[in-house]
Amino acid sequence: MITVLLLALVTGAILFGVGVYGALSQTNLVMIMMGVELILAGALVNLVAFWRFLHPESYSGQMFVLVVMTVMALEMAVGFGVAIARFRAKGSVEMEEAGDLKG
Amino acid sequence: MYAQAFFVAAFGLAAIGFGVAVFRTSSMVRSALALLFSQTAVGCMFLAMQTEFLGVLQIMMMATEMSIMTIFMVMFMMDPGGLGGMDMSHQKRFSIGAGLSAAGAAIAVALLADWGPITAEAPDAAMQTRELGIEMLGRSMLIFETAAVTILTAMIAATAVAIPAHTLADNGNKEVSE
Amino acid sequence: MTVAVVLLTLLGSAWLLAVIEDWSATGRLRPAAPMLSGLAHLGRESLVPRKPDRLFFETAPVLLLVVTILGAGVLPLAPDLVIADLATGALFINAALAYVLVALIMAGWGPNGAYAMIGGWRFLGQLIAYAMLIVMPITAVAMRAESLVTTAIVGSQESLWNIVYQPLGFVLFIIAAMALAFRAPFDLPTAEGELAGGVDAEYTGMRLGVLRLARLLLVITLASATTVFYLGGWHGPLLPPWVWSLIKTLAVAALILLAGRHLPRIREADLMGWCWKLGIPLALLNIFVVGLQILVVP
Repeated sequence: MITVLLLALVTGAILFGVGVYGALSQTNLVMIMMGVELILAGALVNLVAFWRFLHPESYSGQMFVLVVMTVMALEMAVGFGVAIARFRAKGSVEMEEAGDLKG
Repeated sequence: MYAQAFFVAAFGLAAIGFGVAVFRTSSMVRSALALLFSQTAVGCMFLAMQTEFLGVLQIMMMATEMSIMTIFMVMFMMDPGGLGGMDMSHQKRFSIGAGLSAAGAAIAVALLADWGPITAEAPDAAMQTRELGIEMLGRSMLIFETAAVTILTAMIAATAVAIPAHTLADNGNKEVSE
Repeated sequence: MTVAVVLLTLLGSAWLLAVIEDWSATGRLRPAAPMLSGLAHLGRESLVPRKPDRLFFETAPVLLLVVTILGAGVLPLAPDLVIADLATGALFINAALAYVLVALIMAGWGPNGAYAMIGGWRFLGQLIAYAMLIVMPITAVAMRAESLVTTAIVGSQESLWNIVYQPLGFVLFIIAAMALAFRAPFDLPTAEGELAGGVDAEYTGMRLGVLRLARLLLVITLASATTVFYLGGWHGPLLPPWVWSLIKTLAVAALILLAGRHLPRIREADLMGWCWKLGIPLALLNIFVVGLQILVVP
């Protein structure tokens, strides 16, 4: 029986999968972060679907969504700070070249 | 019920389509703006699932965040216009395998688990906003305050990491190290 | 029916504002001039730059127009004259107007031109400056009304307009609204003498007509938002409610244009410095003071 809950959960799962593919296959730090954003978006869709269809009386679900949105913004901010520092030190943010500890 | 199912499915397909377009296009700005519209479609899914406040919040935040990501793409990527046709990926088969197995596992859990009774009615939007506010400043006040302190820490950390390093030159003045 | 009335009022205000702007620039009252110049855009040649990003080039003016109409959709002209009285109306205006940035980035990157691109990125810098300054005064307004519904916000100002109750918030909101509408003195994206038109530079013909109409409607939407949040919406002694809304909206829009004619353009770095170092502490002070007022004053 196809309910709207299942539609939302499957969408969240596919977004998660696309995000995992992106985070693992890209070489540039900014593209990896875009993959992580997609992963978190998949998680958000699942959270909202669970709140709406299974427990609409308890607002901890919505609180969790707010916390995940906050974390999305924060990891992007700190990630871009690190990218700026790396770019200044090395001239590129390619992750392939970041394998050595020295220099 | 059918209208809701139609809209959730339509916006879901839009989100997935834009999400796939992020990694298939070679223009960096198109990639970032495709991610923006994917997040907007996720926000519209929230609106279709009757969580009006969260949907509007997602749409608003993601517009700003993804635009900032756009400018960082143009700053740091080698070929922002995408006319060069470079392939910027590695370990392709492993990552496709990981993506498929992650999505497959999540879909299997979604289809096979018994989720229990599905609530048909949701609280009305004004009530949701009010109750969310009361929850946030009442029962979940500690979570709210921790999130606030985390935001402050992240702001200080990002600024501290992004400022160029200073070293003492020979004459004792601080100068930017190159 | 309501949709048609609101949209016609929006277009009518845009026409009135264009006539007022024309009159203040040339000294002559020419009521037919906006329509004629709009029609003239249809007749002009539509040049497309070499190798544009076609998707963005075409989408940007249309997105700007759609965004302003969406923003105007939650603003009430009279107690029953609002297109969509959303439960999160005040937040929805912000969400819709955040896409002005997306439209300008597309308009900057699309035409494959240096001046347009600089104009687009300059607007991103401006957004970082005005974004907090536009949300925090709305927070203080919603605190007084105890609701995000725009009709409730107007209803809460029946006894005392918000401009008297929270003057600091009004000043910050007007400044942020001018920066959002990229009107002088914050018109860095389309700096006339400096960037050869910036974001508008590569658009010609019908697309330029749509872009200019969208910019005018953006000023009207923001002026309407200011009247709803700060000037008491439709409250007034003798005339019918929608006439008061119209008068107040046009007054605020004329004020925005007047400020543009007399103030010099402000530099990007100065704008961000002032907004972050002075504006945000003032906005937080505003929220604190309004909170005290709500708790103490009966």
